[in-house]
Amino acid sequence: MRYVVVGLHAAGRSACQWLRKASPAAEIIGVDPSPLPVYSRPLISYVLAGEMAPPGMGVADDDFWNRLGVSVLADKAVGLEAGHGRLLLKSGQELAYDRLLLACGARPRPVETAGDAAGEVCFFRGRRDLDKVLARVRPGGTAAVLGGGLVGFKLTMGLLKRGMQVTLIVTSPRPLSLNVDAYVGQWVGERLQNTPGVTLLTSTSVTSIDTGTDKPLRLALDSGAALDVDLVAAGKGVLPNTGWLADSGLECDYGVLADAFLRSSDERVYVAGDLAQAPDIVHGDRRTNAVWPVAVEQGRVAALNMAGLRAEYAGSLAMNAIPVFGSRMISVGLVNPSLTRGCDFVDVGTPRGSYLKLVFREERLVGAVGLDAPPRLGELAFAVKRGLRRRDIPAGWLANVQNAAPLAAPGGALVGNARFG
Amino acid sequence: MLKKTVIVRPELCVGCMQCMIRCAQAHSQSKSLACAIREEILAKPRIHLGVGPENKPFPNKCRHCEPAPCQEACMPWAIRDDIAQGLKIVDPTRCIGCGMCAMACPYYVIRFYQDAGAPERPSVAVKCDGCHERVAAGAIPACVAACKTGALTFDEVNLYLKQGTNRLANAVYGVKA
Repeated sequence: MRYVVVGLHAAGRSACQWLRKASPAAEIIGVDPSPLPVYSRPLISYVLAGEMAPPGMGVADDDFWNRLGVSVLADKAVGLEAGHGRLLLKSGQELAYDRLLLACGARPRPVETAGDAAGEVCFFRGRRDLDKVLARVRPGGTAAVLGGGLVGFKLTMGLLKRGMQVTLIVTSPRPLSLNVDAYVGQWVGERLQNTPGVTLLTSTSVTSIDTGTDKPLRLALDSGAALDVDLVAAGKGVLPNTGWLADSGLECDYGVLADAFLRSSDERVYVAGDLAQAPDIVHGDRRTNAVWPVAVEQGRVAALNMAGLRAEYAGSLAMNAIPVFGSRMISVGLVNPSLTRGCDFVDVGTPRGSYLKLVFREERLVGAVGLDAPPRLGELAFAVKRGLRRRDIPAGWLANVQNAAPLAAPGGALVGNARFG
Repeated sequence: MLKKTVIVRPELCVGCMQCMIRCAQAHSQSKSLACAIREEILAKPRIHLGVGPENKPFPNKCRHCEPAPCQEACMPWAIRDDIAQGLKIVDPTRCIGCGMCAMACPYYVIRFYQDAGAPERPSVAVKCDGCHERVAAGAIPACVAACKTGALTFDEVNLYLKQGTNRLANAVYGVKA
């Protein structure tokens, strides 16, 4: 049996580990164009902020892949003939497979704007983007960050730490509008506005980016204002890397469509990570959830199914935890105000200065958002997966969230080595 | 033989918190209670006492799940496997304190403190490590050693389940166990 895994980051690496556990003797080939060691992409924001040295991002070196018995090809997959079971590589090599996992992720969503310097926008997805941003950092200079999502926020804080004056330009009325509810979004917006060195422009978009005179770049905003900056960086979300699969015969929509076993429309091809348009628990449809824990979990489930062990995927769930201004912000499931119309909200009694809100749809828990709340989001995420109803949450839990016994804990004896999946 | 693990019976817990104190002591630099409270970076307990219905105590610690949601969520790969003892152990020198693990943990057992294992970091994930060093040296986990009521025991799971079967049999036949 020959397994080929395209992409060796979160989903691909997890899949290789589980393929090896499930098939000790199988041949596993990993295809990834980036040089080893494989690094953890989300850590680039920590390097930008100066909180970590670049080598700290490396997580899987030659030794790791050798011990796992995975042959790594430093090559790029450029075509797939699903009907014939053949993967075409950039080097011209053709790779036959018995089971293929597509885990080649996503790329930054391009910024659509006019101007002769529109191509100068830096993105923030991988090591090369980080190098590009770092090369343009000028302590004491000015930067513009487009996009008020988590990446935009991290870029802003990172550039600020590098000594730049940052203008964060957000199309929505408040930052993090897709990730958190109005209260937390407002809170983050106020903190940003009060942070020396940061200018927050909400409900604003950039109309053109041109070569400037005083500074390298000049941005024209839809408000009519102009902004001279040394650096423009954008975090506008990601698009699945489906371009090279156009003639593959696989069913693609936004990403590559996957069923409840993470199998694509071809029975030998599986899909995991940011590329996979797979069932989503709270939305009920198939969509991509480009977050780390989902990618790793999908890699595991896809690997088990590739190895012939039937593992049903419960569905993905959007979840995020990031430190913001010394506080810890957490969100899971449905919290975006545009998606929670008609839902019931329960504010949980939390210790002073913290905030935790649960979102219920038709009595079932579908989301939660918190700020400095006790770190109980894992419990809530599992409660969302189990379809926990409002009446199943003990009053004692809601009244004493700091110290209450966990929701997920079964009664009676509790044994180590709980099993999931 | 299966690996031994810490087995929790919350119904026997009286909420004395001795397990928390001994856990912190076992994870201190000095391993001595009198000295541990004077250490610059205070060791913290990795077992916590939750409050259940009617204020009943609930000892709560890491279950060392497999697959572990915390390990899957960890971006810098700071949670490693101790395969010999079946444990998931946080490496404080790799932890960046992002909070993803606590977000993924279904049991609310991960906390964030400064840790003597990585004093340069303001806060890292702190959770039960199964007292792997003590166990490797032939001792039992500190929380179990501290527990006077049998709420925490260190046993092989099937043996424990067999004892449970015996207790059930005694209950059915009206014999006080």
